Amino acid sequence: MAVLLAGVVALNVAVLRLNMQSDQLGREQAQLRADNAELASMLAARSASARTSSRAKRELGLQPADPSTTTFLDLSKR
Amino acid sequence: MTPRLANRRIRLLLAFFTLAFLGTFGRAVWLQAVQARPLDRLAEGQHRVTIDVPAARGSILDRNGVDLAIGRQAITVYANPRHVTNPRATAIAAARALHLDPDRLYGKLADRSRGFVYIARKADPKRAAALQTQNLTGLGFYPEERRAYPQGSVAAHVLGFAGIDNHGLTGIELARDQTLAGRNGRQTVVRDPFGRTLDVIRSEAPVEGKDIRLTIDNTLQANAQSVLGKAIRRWGAKGATAVVMNPRNGQVLAMAVEPGFDANRSSQTDRDTQRNRAVTDTYEPGSTFKVVTVGGALSQGLVTPSSQFTLPPSIQVADRVIHEAHRDYTQRMTVAEILSNSSNVGTVTLAELLGRQRLASWISRFGFGRKTGIDFPGETSGILPSYWSGSTIGTLPIGHGIAVTPVQMAAAYAAVANRGVWVRPRLVMGGPMGKGPHRHRIISRHVADQLMSMLRDVVIEGTGIEAEVDGYQVAGKTGTAAKPDPRGGYSTSRYVASFVGIVPASNPRLVILVTVDEPHGAIWGGVVAAPAFQEIAKFALQYLEIPPDALPR
Repeated sequence: MAVLLAGVVALNVAVLRLNMQSDQLGREQAQLRADNAELASMLAARSASARTSSRAKRELGLQPADPSTTTFLDLSKR
Repeated sequence: MTPRLANRRIRLLLAFFTLAFLGTFGRAVWLQAVQARPLDRLAEGQHRVTIDVPAARGSILDRNGVDLAIGRQAITVYANPRHVTNPRATAIAAARALHLDPDRLYGKLADRSRGFVYIARKADPKRAAALQTQNLTGLGFYPEERRAYPQGSVAAHVLGFAGIDNHGLTGIELARDQTLAGRNGRQTVVRDPFGRTLDVIRSEAPVEGKDIRLTIDNTLQANAQSVLGKAIRRWGAKGATAVVMNPRNGQVLAMAVEPGFDANRSSQTDRDTQRNRAVTDTYEPGSTFKVVTVGGALSQGLVTPSSQFTLPPSIQVADRVIHEAHRDYTQRMTVAEILSNSSNVGTVTLAELLGRQRLASWISRFGFGRKTGIDFPGETSGILPSYWSGSTIGTLPIGHGIAVTPVQMAAAYAAVANRGVWVRPRLVMGGPMGKGPHRHRIISRHVADQLMSMLRDVVIEGTGIEAEVDGYQVAGKTGTAAKPDPRGGYSTSRYVASFVGIVPASNPRLVILVTVDEPHGAIWGGVVAAPAFQEIAKFALQYLEIPPDALPR
């Protein structure tokens, strides 16, 4: 009887521990998701084409190529 | 002490214990039998809670997968005023950490009649974390998702925004709210006094919102917005709109409205500025509308591009006299020249040949007077005259007395570019489309080719020379229309200048419409809007690597 009781208690304690671990993991998962979204948002903001082109103009003096000076090669079989 | 006295005390003690026992027993029966259920519920309520597990809102991406709208974590700070021990100190600390007004916070925290008040919804996580480290009694924190628009003002009018409860309120955020929002989950958990989960009784997983991909290209969109911004500054205009569309499939590559706004600051921007005017607002198109009249006359077999007319500088239509804008002498013109020189008298002459019924039918066929069905909320169908007076046949063919949306006009020109097949414009890749046919033929291939040839002449030798793009054949039409005066009639100082172009004309890949609202210094579509078209087209052709068609290959 005592062994059975001890077993029940031990089982409950194990269940409690697992639940607490699961809760902790859930929090960590949510935090990771949040960090991921934050990083994705920062990446999108930093790689915005408007930002890139204005920095390229301002800091490197780059200009978009003139279409009339661009040559297109036709690679289709004749 | 006598035995009698001792017995009496024992009996008294016995009676006391008996009463105490009976009282305790009665109380136990009361609590465990009679009050068992309510107390059980009360206890459950204290350690068992059902919480919503919010579904993450899907992202909105551009056609290349660049994030335009995304969910970011924020922390909501709340308080239970009944648990706040020092409202003044707490208000000062919270206000300092979250950059809020301490007086307003104190008012909330000192009101002990309420058990829950928000201190800050969706606060910056770093600031909230700094406040949390101060362990102030009565304050609580929980994570929430906040909508962020990493590209700032790029496509802000198209995206719209999501409100504090993370549901779309305008734009694509509203149109596709069901897809983006997902469905919240629920969890019933048992918690210890420290809030740690001891057991999960019931769990229903959230259904995460799905991402949606727009047809918009963020680079073309940013460039179009920048070009419009420059045009507004150059001409001191009130606003400007541009639509860049693929005529083959109706995909809108850019839909720009200026002045713009930062989508992250929607709440601080007035509603008027937030409107996507390309879809929700109308304007009188002026001469860009002439393509409908000419297209109708050609389709009915009434004329050919080389049919000639002798045209005076003005024409009387009922009680109105319609004048030429660029000519004060009689001239003989072909139908092609009528379009390329944007002749009002010539177009009215063609409309009179068509007649009222047939003109109305062609206007409807080109998609005016009804919504295009673009997947954007709040689209307007434009305004057609509710009755035809004697002079309507003189004003309507040249784009006056009718109001259209920029997207309707772009779709009509896209049909010409698409060899006569009208395709419904769209902003979202895949997904459901509105009612009605998505594509249908409105003019024959032959007439579409004739119109394209005439529209090329507009840019080569007509009113649209400023729209020329080196290396490419451009077809298009200029438009200049006086705005209606609130006191009646038309304004003599407020105009809408527009240009709709198709490029490369030999193999159309892009239809670009530009309207400039109330320019100053110049009013003509060919002077004000055509250069903006040229700049947008030049960039888009280069960016999309579309080979030139005007050079020997």
